[in-house]
Amino acid sequence: MGKRVIGWGILYFLTLLAGAQEDVRQNAGSKILAVESVWNQAEARGDIKALSLIFDESLVYVDEDGTLLTKAQFLARVKSAGSRPQSLVTPDMNVQVYGETAVVSGTYHVIEVEKGKPLQRNGRFTDIWIYRFGVWLCVAAQATPISR
Amino acid sequence: MKSIKIALYFFPLLFAGRVPAQANTSAQAAESTVLMLENAWNQALRLGESKALQELFVDGLVYIDYDGKIMNKGQYLAHVQTPLLHPEFVVSESMRAHAYGDSVVVTGVYREKGTKNGQPYALRERFVDTWIQQKGTWLCVSSQSTLISH
Repeated sequence: MGKRVIGWGILYFLTLLAGAQEDVRQNAGSKILAVESVWNQAEARGDIKALSLIFDESLVYVDEDGTLLTKAQFLARVKSAGSRPQSLVTPDMNVQVYGETAVVSGTYHVIEVEKGKPLQRNGRFTDIWIYRFGVWLCVAAQATPISR
Repeated sequence: MKSIKIALYFFPLLFAGRVPAQANTSAQAAESTVLMLENAWNQALRLGESKALQELFVDGLVYIDYDGKIMNKGQYLAHVQTPLLHPEFVVSESMRAHAYGDSVVVTGVYREKGTKNGQPYALRERFVDTWIQQKGTWLCVSSQSTLISH
């Protein structure tokens, strides 16, 4: 009786594990795209706390001018930004999932006001997400201006 | 009996120290392998070895060039085989690799000099490449470059 209970317990545990793994793969795309959207909103608001939860401690961020930033440097820059973008949209995003790694690529369009003049920027980005500690965390992000 | 119980209680601690050490070793091995592949990529580019290049990428490769142009694997391979493009000096500097299980993220500075349409050119870009391990082989799934303008 005891052995049977232990056996069912192990089977139940393995089913849960398999279910969790399956869940990671099946819903990864939509979960990550949802977090990408939260990221845009948090960055536009300068919400450092929310952004901090999205990034892994090892984050590498490559800005539009080729500057390499750590997580702390990126958050500090968002915090100290004199003006927030009036609009930050990512009209098309594509996600590819490879097990516990996901690649999101897309375009972005930013409208901001600098010295009273509206400025628009278009670029292409890639964000790399890793499934760690039960959540998807961004470990790398890069932006490249579109020049043609 | 009591000493056996105490020994059993602390038994998992014997492995607690070992697992991270093993993980570190395999992470270091993965990072070294991928950095070698990055150099092999540069060499294949310089020599125009498209077959060698082809084996470095997954079919779903996402490649974003320094001017924001997006390419898939086929487009990238066709791009580097353009007869009017002659890279003569190709090197990656300050490369750093970070392993996350079956994936490795590499950052670095890429420098390329050569001629395009008969005109000399020089590029200095920051790149991020992401590699995954599939059936024991490391393959690049995404690569993006941004011109260093400062």
